[in-house]
Amino acid sequence: MRRPSARRITALLAAGLLLPVLASCGSGDDKGGSAEGGDSALVIYSGRNEKLVKPILDKLEKAVGAKVEVRYGDSAELAAQILEEGDRTKAGLFFSQDAGALGALSKEGMLAKLPQSSLDEVDTAYRGEKGDWVGLSGRVRVLAYNPDKVAEEKVPDRVADVTKPEWKGKVGFAPTNASFQAFVTGMRVLEGDDATRLWLKGLKANGKVYTNNLATLDAVESGEVSLGLVNHYYWYERVAEKGEDKVGAQLKFLPGGDPGALINVAGVGILKEGGQAETAQKAVDYLLSKEAQTYFADTTKEYPLAAGVTSNVEGLPPFDSLESPDIDLGKLESLQETLAMLQDVGLV
Amino acid sequence: MTTSASGGRPAGAPAPAGRRPLRKADETPAGRRPPWVLLAPACAAALFALLPLGYLAVRAFERGPRFAWNVVGDERTLQLLTRSLSLTAVVVAASLVLGVSLAWLTVRTALPGARTWSVLVTLPLAVPSYVAAFTWLASAPRTAGFAGAALVLTLVSFPYVHLPVAAALRGIDPAQEEAARSLGHGPIRTFLRVTLPQLRPAAAGGALLVALYVLSDFGAVSLMRYDTFTRAIHTSYRASFDRTPAAALSVVLVVMTVALVAAETRTRGRAGHARTGGGAARPAVPVPLGPWRIPALAWCATLVAASVAFPLGTLGYWLAVGNSATWDLGTLGEAAWTTLGVAAAGAALTTLLALPVGVIAARHRGRGARLLEQAAYAGHALPGITVALSLVFFAVRYAYPLYQQLPLLIGAYAVLFLPVAVAATRAAVLQAPPVLEDVARSLGRSPLRVLREVTVPLAAPGVAAGAALTFVVCMKELPATLLLRPTDVDTLATRLWTETGSGSFAAAAPYAAALILLAAVPSYLLGRHRT
Amino acid sequence: MTDHGNELRIEQLTKSYSSGAPVLQGLDLTVPGGTLAAVLGPSGCGKTTLLRVIAGFLRADTGTVTLDGRTLAGPGVHLPPERRRIGIVPQEGALFPHLSVARNVAFGLTGLDSGGRRRRTADMLDLVGLAGYGDRMPHELSGGQQQRVALARALAPRPALVLLDEPFNALDSALRTGVRADVRSALRATGATALLVTHDQQEALSTADLVAVVRQGRVAQCDTPQDLYRRPADPWVAGFVGDAVLLPATVHGSGSTATTPLGTVALAAPSEGRSTGTVVLRPEQLQLTHADTEEAVRGTVRDVFYYGHDAKVTLSVQGVDDPVDVRVAGPLSVGPGQEAAIRVTGEATLHP
Repeated sequence: MRRPSARRITALLAAGLLLPVLASCGSGDDKGGSAEGGDSALVIYSGRNEKLVKPILDKLEKAVGAKVEVRYGDSAELAAQILEEGDRTKAGLFFSQDAGALGALSKEGMLAKLPQSSLDEVDTAYRGEKGDWVGLSGRVRVLAYNPDKVAEEKVPDRVADVTKPEWKGKVGFAPTNASFQAFVTGMRVLEGDDATRLWLKGLKANGKVYTNNLATLDAVESGEVSLGLVNHYYWYERVAEKGEDKVGAQLKFLPGGDPGALINVAGVGILKEGGQAETAQKAVDYLLSKEAQTYFADTTKEYPLAAGVTSNVEGLPPFDSLESPDIDLGKLESLQETLAMLQDVGLV
Repeated sequence: MTTSASGGRPAGAPAPAGRRPLRKADETPAGRRPPWVLLAPACAAALFALLPLGYLAVRAFERGPRFAWNVVGDERTLQLLTRSLSLTAVVVAASLVLGVSLAWLTVRTALPGARTWSVLVTLPLAVPSYVAAFTWLASAPRTAGFAGAALVLTLVSFPYVHLPVAAALRGIDPAQEEAARSLGHGPIRTFLRVTLPQLRPAAAGGALLVALYVLSDFGAVSLMRYDTFTRAIHTSYRASFDRTPAAALSVVLVVMTVALVAAETRTRGRAGHARTGGGAARPAVPVPLGPWRIPALAWCATLVAASVAFPLGTLGYWLAVGNSATWDLGTLGEAAWTTLGVAAAGAALTTLLALPVGVIAARHRGRGARLLEQAAYAGHALPGITVALSLVFFAVRYAYPLYQQLPLLIGAYAVLFLPVAVAATRAAVLQAPPVLEDVARSLGRSPLRVLREVTVPLAAPGVAAGAALTFVVCMKELPATLLLRPTDVDTLATRLWTETGSGSFAAAAPYAAALILLAAVPSYLLGRHRT
Repeated sequence: MTDHGNELRIEQLTKSYSSGAPVLQGLDLTVPGGTLAAVLGPSGCGKTTLLRVIAGFLRADTGTVTLDGRTLAGPGVHLPPERRRIGIVPQEGALFPHLSVARNVAFGLTGLDSGGRRRRTADMLDLVGLAGYGDRMPHELSGGQQQRVALARALAPRPALVLLDEPFNALDSALRTGVRADVRSALRATGATALLVTHDQQEALSTADLVAVVRQGRVAQCDTPQDLYRRPADPWVAGFVGDAVLLPATVHGSGSTATTPLGTVALAAPSEGRSTGTVVLRPEQLQLTHADTEEAVRGTVRDVFYYGHDAKVTLSVQGVDDPVDVRVAGPLSVGPGQEAAIRVTGEATLHP
């Protein structure tokens, strides 16, 4: 008969279920206690990946002299969460991967105006119109190419050219990647919807789709494709890891204000209702400080945007030399239409 | 007076009049109102499950019904609806074919190693859809799109059909099949005309869970780049940071869910309701497979290989060769322990809430009972992010101390997975003959004590199976966990997310492998479980 | 235990299902304390509904149920099942599969300490002839044993009334007689009032002290088995409780005899002024004699059913539409196609 065995399984399951419950309740209480404790604690909602920013946020904790708790998540989802929390938000500081999520909070009036001294650290192009968020670091769209497959001088100067027949089956890109989508939005702003739609159709016909920038870069390195549309820092990180001679790809920074050279920024804003404005302000100051900006330059290989810090990354063109398109980053909020277009074309 | 031995039929007398078509009143508990000790907690559970709907109502109509209607009435919405429904239809159909064929092979045939296979084919439950999707994408990028989404979702969800159908097959008296054979039906016709109709309620219950799972899934469809309703909802948050259209679209999902649940209720009919007769059916004589043995084995092996061995193998390969895969055993251990803890608490709470709803669904048949059960299902097709935001909304307003604490996360699991536990509880209670409860009442037990001393012990193995299934789905949950977890608390799923967000999938392999292996334990117990 | 206590009284009970079909239509029934009564009826007659209303699982629409002077159900009253002191023995026993035999029997013994509970359980198992089976699990028992445990379980809390719902249905016929006898003696030993629901007239007649025949939600007749069989209230009841021979009859002047196609028969009761009607005879009241017997009615043998201890011979008789059954004890002297003479003995009942 099966009853005894069924009973044993039930008992086993019950024990298996209860043990960790008790354990997690214990540990949960500890964490709960620390979350409540000390009203000077700063809570940061970070849309930037833990792997990238944890070291600098650890340093930030020392710099501001208060307990710092970081909640990692997706930038857009964290923005939605803050909007839902409203005036009872737990967040003191929102650290976003892109300008769009900051713009959304700014639009709802949830961000506090930053002091002019902070804003002045950064070029007007890379901060919020209302002065309630500020960019910290920038990443530029580039063309990665495989030198074994294509000579440097043959690499297109304009991203528009990758839809030419000669590149059929040779272009890699990641249409679900937020930076790619921001770039398409930029193209729409610069060249209009019709031209962009046409270009996307050509890209679809010519290109190979990858899940993200890294996979695209991998494909360029392996020669699976000759060209790849990526963010610049992936390549520099890889060079730092393996050495330039071991990396089978090179980068081309597109000249002449081409939309393919769009700059995206990551930035921060202080929540009005977080009740942590003072500490949060210290945190913003720290993130704009030389130490933090140098961290972004050296570790994430992004362009530092403040404190007069320039990147020491070998081979990285100076920020001033970039011929990026002149676009109001606030306009990149119209991502909705970009996505609709990508969907229409069948890329996402 | 001697007893007449005439066999009882009054020969010279008129036939007894007064035969009515009315069946015996054996199923009568259906007519009674459930006792308040069941009704009150069941209503509480249903209201809890309806929280996301309350939130959606607030958000969807905050800019007036016209705005919501414009979102819903958009041409694109119809397109997405078609895409979502066609994906759902294909995955449900494929899961039915896979689940029913595997159930029949492992329960009714002389398949070599049938018991082992029956355990192996439940293991896909342990594989999160997003892990399956990225292993497939990495090896076969061309699968992206409808085909890939359908493939991956089928491979991870067919056990939802296989488990209840296998249990139902074990419960069918083989004498019926023998009778059909003796009436001149071949084995296939017997299966189609006698066995299959009886499996319908079980298969429909499983198919419903698969359908709602497909509708709510985000991980697989986003990786496979197949645009569905869920993706549109996510996109609405991500692209426009606008919660109103997302909520309006979510309402459409709820409507679809209600329609699906109602359709499933219909398939139950009267047949599946109360099993009469307590006698255990004689075990069936296994159908010899003859020359079909090899194809049958190949079928099972292919499915297990594609659904379990392939993702695990791919992860293993990445672990072996990938240089970005680092073994941070401390983090891994802590995440694993947290995962077990929150999933166990989630399973416990969900099962507890599901118990009264499941008992009422099994024992009572009025409109109220049906509404209760449907309420438990209503939010099940909503993507995790929507459910999570709704709990943010309510917790921030009405339960602030719980916000970003474990109890809220565990509550979210209960809202998300209540139907999984309700379905299991209902099936388990149906297996316990209602007459036992009547006997217990007549022996002086109150309804509550009958529940505790008779119904629950009898249904315990099935309820435990439901708890194990809930445990597995809680372990794999990502979007709600990400939003609602206490700061600094990481589960394997959130670690997996962090690693894939910064590096390649290979970097996430240790967490993915640990998640699958841990979730395989309750899945294994489910496969072993017999009702 | 007095004979007067534990009387079950049911008055004007009605019950309809939500479909609107009436099941009980003003049912009256009184079962004196200590009596084993059978409720006999065809399927669908409402007997199971009656049992469930008495037990409290169903709520009657109107009417009252009283037991031992307590109102269990009536206008504004509905005692829950657990407070009625009614034990039930369902079909197939319905033992709790997760409890041992002893724990099944002890299930209803809530008021006793553990020693008392043990003693009572042992007594009950002893009563049903299963002493020493306490540690077994239900699935380790035969069907008949399960049924007897179910009875012990129902009797253990000393209920005022025991309801038996076709309890012998699932048993094979060899076992059935034995279990039936055991159940009856166990019930007698405890003095409990009992109501046996069945569709099997043999079971009702042989087991019960009192048989209530239910038809279309009403009691058609309630009598002792003998009276029920001998003096059925109408031809339908006659046919339902056994084989019956129905004959058109003309009453003689005095009203104590009537003329039928089978000759003159004595009436069990005065005709009360009716001059014609139908008389009901039992096949064993008819006797076959040689075809040349004087004053006897002749018929042609159509068929013979042989049972061992007796046989049933079916004949066609002039003036009677339906075939006539005759029970013949001892050696058979006729075969199909032969002529035989029929003689009537005993009394018949006359019905309009």
